[in-house]
Parts: sequence; structure tokens; C-alpha cells
Amino acid sequence: MIEVTLEVNGTKRSLSVEPRRLLADILRQEFNLCGVHIGCAHGACGCCTVHVEGVPRLSCLTFAVQCDGKAISTVESVGGVEADHPLQQAFRSNHGLQCGYCTPGFIMTLIPFVDAMVAEGRMPGDPEIREAMSGNICRYTGYQGIVAAVREAIGDRLGTQR
Amino acid sequence: MSRPDRPRHVGARIQRFEDTRFLSGTARYIDDIRRPGMLHLSFLRADIAHARILDVDTSALADLGFPVQVFTGADIGELSIKAHQDFPEMQYSEQPLLARDRVRFVGEAVAAVVADDPYRAEDAAELVLVDYDPLPTVATMDQARDPQMPGLFDGWRTNVFVERTMRGGDIERARAEAAHVFTRTYSTQRQAGVPMEGRGVVAEYDPADRTLTVWSSTQIPHLLRTYIAEELNWPESRLRVIAPDVGGGFGIKGQVLPEEVLIPWIALKTGRPVKWIEDRREHLTASIHARDHRHTLEAYVSSDGRLLGLKADISVDVGAYSTFPFTAAGDPGMAAKVMPGPYDFQHYEATFRALATNKCPVGTYRGVGRPSAVFAQERLMDDIAKELGLDPIAFRLKNIVRNFPYTNALGFTYDPGSYAEALEKTRDLIANDCAAAAASRTASGKRIGVGIACFVEQSAHGTPDFTRRRVPIETGYIAARIEMTPDGQAIIDIGLQNHGQGHETVLAQVAADGLGVHPHDVRVRHGDTATTPYSVGTWGSRGGALGGGAVHLAATQIGNKLKAIAGHLMQADPATVVLGNGHAHIDGQPSRSVAIATLARAALRNVDQLPQGMGPGLEAQVSLDGPADGTYSNAVHAAVVEIDTRTGKMELKRFVVVEDCGTILNPLIVDGQVRGGVVQGIGSAMLEHFIYDEECQPLTVTFADYLMPLAPEIPDIEVHHIETPTPLTPLGAKGLGEGGAIGPAAAIANAVADALQVSVTSTPLNANAVWRLCSALRGGD
Repeated sequence: MIEVTLEVNGTKRSLSVEPRRLLADILRQEFNLCGVHIGCAHGACGCCTVHVEGVPRLSCLTFAVQCDGKAISTVESVGGVEADHPLQQAFRSNHGLQCGYCTPGFIMTLIPFVDAMVAEGRMPGDPEIREAMSGNICRYTGYQGIVAAVREAIGDRLGTQR
Repeated sequence: MSRPDRPRHVGARIQRFEDTRFLSGTARYIDDIRRPGMLHLSFLRADIAHARILDVDTSALADLGFPVQVFTGADIGELSIKAHQDFPEMQYSEQPLLARDRVRFVGEAVAAVVADDPYRAEDAAELVLVDYDPLPTVATMDQARDPQMPGLFDGWRTNVFVERTMRGGDIERARAEAAHVFTRTYSTQRQAGVPMEGRGVVAEYDPADRTLTVWSSTQIPHLLRTYIAEELNWPESRLRVIAPDVGGGFGIKGQVLPEEVLIPWIALKTGRPVKWIEDRREHLTASIHARDHRHTLEAYVSSDGRLLGLKADISVDVGAYSTFPFTAAGDPGMAAKVMPGPYDFQHYEATFRALATNKCPVGTYRGVGRPSAVFAQERLMDDIAKELGLDPIAFRLKNIVRNFPYTNALGFTYDPGSYAEALEKTRDLIANDCAAAAASRTASGKRIGVGIACFVEQSAHGTPDFTRRRVPIETGYIAARIEMTPDGQAIIDIGLQNHGQGHETVLAQVAADGLGVHPHDVRVRHGDTATTPYSVGTWGSRGGALGGGAVHLAATQIGNKLKAIAGHLMQADPATVVLGNGHAHIDGQPSRSVAIATLARAALRNVDQLPQGMGPGLEAQVSLDGPADGTYSNAVHAAVVEIDTRTGKMELKRFVVVEDCGTILNPLIVDGQVRGGVVQGIGSAMLEHFIYDEECQPLTVTFADYLMPLAPEIPDIEVHHIETPTPLTPLGAKGLGEGGAIGPAAAIANAVADALQVSVTSTPLNANAVWRLCSALRGGD
């Protein structure tokens, strides 16, 4: 067992973990964060995406011990129980989700992309948006609603900046 | 003047109410179910496809240093999955919950180990040693039909579960009258729904009320309850099945699989809650596969291009066991049944057979038999048109069913649809693409191709359809119970299970119109046998048509009582009362109104205000069976592809859908269902393939091997609607959920055939396959 300190969604906590435990399992079991979903456990579907130090990372390919001292955030920290982050709202208005299982992974993958586009002050084309989500599999929506949601989230923020 | 009972919310593009919990991470799926003292279960599964089990050695588990319990086939007695079709020629299979004396496919569970922690359970399961005596594998359809091969089950004659023939009209007459006979063989590959959430089961016995509770990621909670009760000989009144949030199903979770019976049994044996969460390798090798079809069609065509008759020979490799409740004959029988499609001919004969091999069992997947049947039928239509020198759409229009109701060669009656209109609309939408395709024929390098698929989809079929097929599903009804609360809100308890279809929104829209309240004031509960009335669950495209219909009828009953109370309170004729916007008012006199909440409170609390003789209460329950032959949705799909003939690289440039699902209940959700289905169908057409080697070892056991569509390779899906309400369901709605997945393989294959001017006879049309098809254009290589 190894002692680690994780800062999860803004709260620091020390715990001892087996080196082999996946970050996804620790977040789910020890931190009770059910928004972290395991889709394949081999790094191919993106369902388990969380942020480690602000960067999207697959929590099924990351051991918890690798994150000692690091800040981790999950979908629970994004827009609260009402899911009122602009990207979450855009998913809702564009029917960007159906069963919802892959949704937290998409949200965590796409928030930094939306932020980057807004920072650059430009609206990406659909191929660029689709490329940004190419590490996430959605089996239900056919992606079109998600693409529209990203476009709307970027457009709204570019609009308010002007 | 407003008309009473005019729909206000049905048909509106309303955002989904259920989205917030999925977006916020507060949804609860099967792996989020935790019970105090819960044990975790891990399986040791067969790594050889066909073998006798000589010994299962669990002795290594004694020295692990932590407590475990292990169960093997020797412990479970006769417990099994039995899925028999009541036909004399059916050869029966029973799938033991844990393999007893023999394993029949890679992935079959041999031992189950429980421990306090899932990692430790997996550690322990790896230490179980099995001594196998290998048997010859039955790996192909031809081997399954070979009488020299050993039977998968003792006493079997050949490895054929069942072979039957369906007939209508006089096929010999069609053959005799035909000017042209076309014989072709088409095949589709083994694939599956692969929801992003795998399967999982939790079971717990509560001695206080002697109730066994089973949580399962299932589409069919009531059917699962009945199966567990019968198999474990447990009183069904003391069994509760809960489907929590379910992360996709697509039919895969619409059957009862061994783990769903075994885990409750182990919970009873151990006296502890037990959880099993399927991992992805287990899902890809040992849940449900589909669509492993080979069809040989013979079409009889007159000199003027009329289809006179069709003969079909349909083989499906259904794997090692018959699956409950649709059986081994489900996929082949459905393909045979739907093959006549949207075309007008009265002579048809189909022989279908379900073949047993040492592979994962085949079950239902979105479309069930139809994607393969439509692939064969629509490829054949294009091949015939090409040989006769006819335009593919003109050839279809010449043969399309135009007069409704129409009874096909097998005696199935189609309710009104828009078959010809959908073809004509598609023809207009793709006219420019067809011109571009023609122009590209002379170009070297890149070729453009356009292909269509025209089909009908029998949906929401009722009990007689299952009686004819003698399958253990037996019936197809959905029940809804609505209860209003004294504050004027409503609760719907529905026998559907919502796993992405938007039931919590659509059904609230339907009820809101009947009750005069806002959809936000209607809560929909589902997936729990303790709260919902017995129903068959969510499959067969019946959620909107039958679930919506049942809610409409129940809400209308309650609405009539609300009107009676309102008439009494306002001293008016109840027939003049209109419900809407949270109020009941007198038609034409909006100022004379009373709040629905006041009426609800009168019915439930201030019952002294009720009319003489009216009892208290505001609830209604309605069960709605499907129409005997179902209701037929129709659609035309069109694909435009561009192929680089030098490399075989194919790009899907455009995909167009013209569909008719009758009355549209919520266009946002209809579009979402169609688009999602189409993208799964694109996966079927171009990517997805479960590959086994000649020893029946699965080669596609991760998402790096089993390829599903990703966002960059998918174009926007253009969806156009025609609305032909059916008289057969209360709201005029037809089935919708599966249709999107039915057409793409045929449309894309037809586009490839058009681009390369070759016949395409099989899917998947992946890079290798397209490159091979291009070889003629490269001058052979």
C-alpha cells in the first residue's frame, strides 16, 4: 500500500492505495464519484475521461498512485447537480446525449477544446470539432448533436465576448 | 375557438427532462449500486471453444490469505437458460448457468468466485484450473450442416437448431411465368450492439420481508423477474427486479442471460449481496452477437420489370445456444418474415435455418434480422435493375406497394404508409449526386456512387405475431398506470425501461395533453417491478407507439374525471370543459376556469366536493397490446460515397433519410433516434466485425479490434419526415427506434456497387473489402 494525497474536485485527501488500483476505481470507490464511467478499461472509448491538472486524461489507464499531489476534477465539479455549465446546457438543447453513459467523458474531453477555441477567438469547422472528440465513442447519438452542442457553446461565448 | 382535447405538447420539440442527471454525473447505473457487506463476483471463462471438462480444480483458492467462495457447474444442478420454440423439429439447447460437463464457446462461464473486493475476486478466479479434453469445433455454416460433424448437444442429429419453410401464393407459378430469373447470394457479418455500458447484476436477499431484489442492466425487468422466479422456484411476489439507469441496450440487454439468474442464486447461497460487473472482453466474447447471415435469393421477374415472386434460403450462424426469449430462430425467422418488404408480389417462399456453431450465442440487436434481410433484398433490387438496364428508383417505383391496407404474400397486412412518396422525395434529394456519380465513371482515380435502401419495418407487433412464432416471449403489451397527486401533478408508472429513448420526456408530453397540465408536472417512473405494471419492456420499437398509446388512454380516463369534477364545481356540462395550461375552463369562456390542482385536491382530499356518487381517487391503468400484424414504418435511406480506386479509401460523403414513423411525438427525439440508428448501421456496413479463427477463437476482443464509428468518419445525417398516422395505435405513432439501423448496410453497399460498377455481395465494406472490389478498375492486381 502506498500513501498518496489527491486533490479531488478542490478537496485534498490522503489515503493509502494498492499501486495497481486504477484512478477510475479510486475516484468511484473512495470518492464516491459515480460520474466517472468505465466503458472499456483499455483506453479506447474515453468514457472515463477526467482532468488531471486541468488536462483530459483516461482514468482507466492511470494508476491512482501516479496522481500523488495532483489536482483531479471530474464531471461532478463542472456545473453542479443542475449541470448548468454552458457546454452541458448546449448538450441539452442540441440532444447531444441519449443514454448518458459516455456523456461525462465527452464533457471532460471537450471543455478544454471549447476553452481553447474561445481563447483563440475562432469558431472551428465541423471536421475540427469531430477530430477533437475522436477519442470518445458514443454508441447512441451518432455524434451530430454533440458537434452542434460544441458549436453552440463556442458561439455563445464568442458572441458575449464581442 | 379552441377545440377540446387538442394536443398541445405532443409533437413539440421539447428538451429532455432526464438529461440533467446524465450531464451532472448524478445518474445511477448498475456499477453505482452498492449494498452493505456486498461480495464481488468474477468469472473464470472458457478459453477453448469446444471441450469436455474433465476436472475443475479450485484447491489453489484455499491459500490466498483472504476469504473467497467458488461455485462451479457441479454446484448449480439443472439451473440453465432454456429458450425453446414450440416446434416439433426444434432441437433444444440448454445453457447451464455455469458449464457442467462441456464448454461450447470461448467465454462460457466455468467458475464463479466471490470475494470482498473486485480485484481480489479477479485474482482468485485466475487460479481456478480447468482440465479440458478438446472436441472438434464447428466453425462455419457449412460445418454446422455437415452430418459428419459431432453434435454440440447429446442426441442432436446435425447442428441445426431448426429449419422451417414459410410459403405464400404459388412460387412455381411465379417461376413459370417469369421472363427473367435472378439468383444471388448475399451475406452480412457477425456484429453486435456493444453498448458503452456493459452488462451487470447485483442481487440481495432481505430476510426481514423475505424479498430477493435483483438489479440488472436490462431492458426487460418484468420478463427477467418471471424467468428468475421460475428457474429458482422463488415466489414472484417476493422478487423485485430493478433496472437502474442503463447505458445503452440496443437489444443486447433485451434477453435473459445466465449471469442474471446465477448472481441471485449465489446471493441466496451466500446470504450476502453479490455484484458482478461485466468487463469489456467478457462483453465482446460472451454476451450477445447478431447478424451472421447468408441469404440466397431467387427473384422471378416479368418481361416488363415486375417482380412476380421471390424464393429465399436463409441461414444464420446463431452460435452455441438458443437465447431467451426470442430463441435461436429469432434472427433467421425474422429475416424470412420481412423479406417481401415494401414490394407488391404475391408468391413467396422462404426456408430459414438456425445453425449451431462454437461461437457466442446470437440474439436481438436493433433491427433483428431486418438489416440483413434489407441488405439482401435491396442489393438484389439493384442487381436486377442493372441487368435489366433500369434506373434503380424507377424499378422500385414500378414494384412498390401503393394501395393500403396491403396484405403481402405471407398474409401480413401493412397499414397506410408513404412508400412511393418516400422514394420520389429521395430521388429529388439525391438528383445532383446521381449526376456527379455518372460523371465520375469516366474519371480515373476517384469514383462517386449513390445507393438507396427502401424498406418497411414491422414494429410494435402484438400477441398474435408471437403466438404464430411460438416463441417464449408470448406477448408484446405495454402497461401504464397514472396517478395524480393532490397538488395537481402526475406520476406515470410505465412498463417500459428508458435507456436513451427519452421516455421520461415523451410520455410526460402525452400525459400532459390528457390531463391539462404541463409536462414538467408529470414524473415518469420505469424499470422497477415494484412500482410499474407488468409489461414486456423496451424492445421491438414499441415505446412510443404502445407506451405512448397506453399513457394517452390512461390520461384520457383521468382527464374525463377531471372534466366531470370541473363541470360539477362550475355548474356546467362536463362535455363543455377543456383542459389545458394547468386549468379546466368552459370552452369559449376562458375566464370560467378552475385549477387542475383544485380538481385533484377535490378528488383526493376534499372529496365532499365531488359530484354525487363519484368515488375518490385519480388514477387509471391501461394495458395496450400491439396490432396483430404490427404497424409498418417505412423509410428510404440514401448514401453517397467517394472511392479512391487506387487505394480503396472510401469516404461517406452524404447520408439522407426520408422516414415515416406516423405521428411524431417529439421531433428532437425522433431525429436523435434516427441519426443514432443510422450511425450504428454505418458501423455495420463499413467497420464492425466479430472475427473467429478456424478453432473458433475470437480475434476481436478489444475496441482496438472491434471498430465502431468515431465522430470524424461520420457525416451529418440528413433526416426528412413524412407523417402518415396509423389507425392502429391511439396516437397514430408507429415504431421508430430501430429503423435507422436497418437501411445503411444496403444503401452503402448499393453506393459502392454504383461507384465501381460491380456487384457487392457481403459486408463489412471496410478498407480491405473496398480495395479488393476496386481491383477490376485497377486492371486486376
